Amino acid sequence: MRLAPYLSTARMAMREKTNAGLTALLPRMLAIGARVVPLMVVWRVVLHRGADVGMTLSQMLVYTFAGALLSDLLEVQTALSSWNYDGRLVSLYQRPLPVLAHVVAQTAGGWAPLLLFFSLPLLLLAPLAGLDTRPATLWFFPSLLLGVSLGFAIDFLFSCLTIRLRGMAWMVYSIRMALVSLLSGAVIPFRVMPFGLDRILDLQPLGSLAGAPLSLLVGTGDPARVLLLQLGWNLLLWPLAMLLFARSRERMTSYGG
Amino acid sequence: MADKSSKNPKNAASRRTAHGLRSWIRRVGALFALYAKMDFAWLLRDTKTALIVIAAESISQIAGITGVFLIAWRFDGIGNMDRYEVLLLLGYATLLQGVYNFFFNGGNTGHLSRRIGRGQLEHMMIQPVPLGVQLVTDGFLPVSGNGGLIAGIVVTAVAVRHIGLAVTPAWLLLFAGQLLAGLAVLVGMLYLGSVAAFYQPVAAEEITSDIYNTAVRLSAFPLSDLSRGGQTLLLTAIPAGLLAWFPTLVLLGRPPLGLTAAFPFLFASVLALLTGVLMKKGWLHYAREGSARYSDVGHRR
Repeated sequence: MRLAPYLSTARMAMREKTNAGLTALLPRMLAIGARVVPLMVVWRVVLHRGADVGMTLSQMLVYTFAGALLSDLLEVQTALSSWNYDGRLVSLYQRPLPVLAHVVAQTAGGWAPLLLFFSLPLLLLAPLAGLDTRPATLWFFPSLLLGVSLGFAIDFLFSCLTIRLRGMAWMVYSIRMALVSLLSGAVIPFRVMPFGLDRILDLQPLGSLAGAPLSLLVGTGDPARVLLLQLGWNLLLWPLAMLLFARSRERMTSYGG
Repeated sequence: MADKSSKNPKNAASRRTAHGLRSWIRRVGALFALYAKMDFAWLLRDTKTALIVIAAESISQIAGITGVFLIAWRFDGIGNMDRYEVLLLLGYATLLQGVYNFFFNGGNTGHLSRRIGRGQLEHMMIQPVPLGVQLVTDGFLPVSGNGGLIAGIVVTAVAVRHIGLAVTPAWLLLFAGQLLAGLAVLVGMLYLGSVAAFYQPVAAEEITSDIYNTAVRLSAFPLSDLSRGGQTLLLTAIPAGLLAWFPTLVLLGRPPLGLTAAFPFLFASVLALLTGVLMKKGWLHYAREGSARYSDVGHRR
């Protein structure tokens, strides 16, 4: 497989994100800040009150901080649904790349500017502010990769749902974002949930997206169990996504720009 | 007498203004009725899908606030708000989003940066309806856009019942007023951000999504534990605190930072003024530069 076309696609996606210079990234940075600050304040208040959540304050803060900075990777969101809605998806079939691989390259390229110029520098500098962002185990990295891979599969499945619902991209997006933010563990660690919900949330597929790698990052997860679960969901959902996407092609309808 | 007053230029001007306002309201009302009819026709034409959409929106709104409520439940409240006060905050935030979806979700009238960035303002300029009237009415979805509204009303009602608030006509008026001011602040924030799309159509096309998501996410957090500086920031420079946290405390009878219930109205007015000035400047830039976002076959570049 030649990598050059994918790298070119990724590079174009990266440039598209920065055609106004790095200032175009400011809204995303603001969004990340808006997500991190209130939660970190809540954790501080709650844990200083003496609540026992099975995590130290430091672990909670690192979990929230890294979860927000790596949100693109932990809650993978491609443009596939909206491209189907606005007609751009059709043009992908005219290009000499497989459609889904093209979407992956485009999405990953779009992540690059924020990751390189904001998230990674902040994660590296965080120890200076007292936040130990070093992974508790190196299994965090394969777990992150499996989470990203699963994220693409789940995104493609949601895209199939959009196609099935005749292009209702916004509705599917709203449901998806609400479900992912609650059930992926990207915003609130499962251990904080009441009624013993953490035991169920750990097992469902969305939990393998963010909750899994972040639990390894802060050292609260068992690597063998976490990685096996992630691998299992990947093996189950990737073939399903490929099959359903192939079947969805005949159903695609578009409103155009 | 009538002749005298008609010769008075001040009276003639005020009559013209009143007539203009009346005709504006008539036109907006007629268009609201038209959009309502079309939306209702969609319900009748494709009932199954329409009901799925309404239910899905309600579910997604509830799911969106569940996380914070579960934290409040686990820790018996957050900051100086108990469990059901947090639920009131979440219900109010959901209601505000519901009202926004009800009036501004159709055709991206709320997400104006998309229309500007995609070069769709030109489509609006050839319509035989003033731009302002289009922006007010185009997004009206009273049937398909009411899922969030329903969810917000239910959650708010449950919270009010558990807190034991006395629901008087004055309280309801205060509630409606705060909701209106919050809506004005939210739309003002989105329109202010949309100005960027006049200058950078591709990069800023989705800027309203970032602003909306940030504001909505922040609005569903009890901000009482933030420092005074943090609270001030979230009531002014990033006014997400005005969307739900501030009004909820007003409705509970303890407005924060010694401010009064009138503050959101004052802020919304200043924001509208600032947005108007910058929008006009961006508009003039757009008139000179235009937009080239479409290929010859009509697809977006």
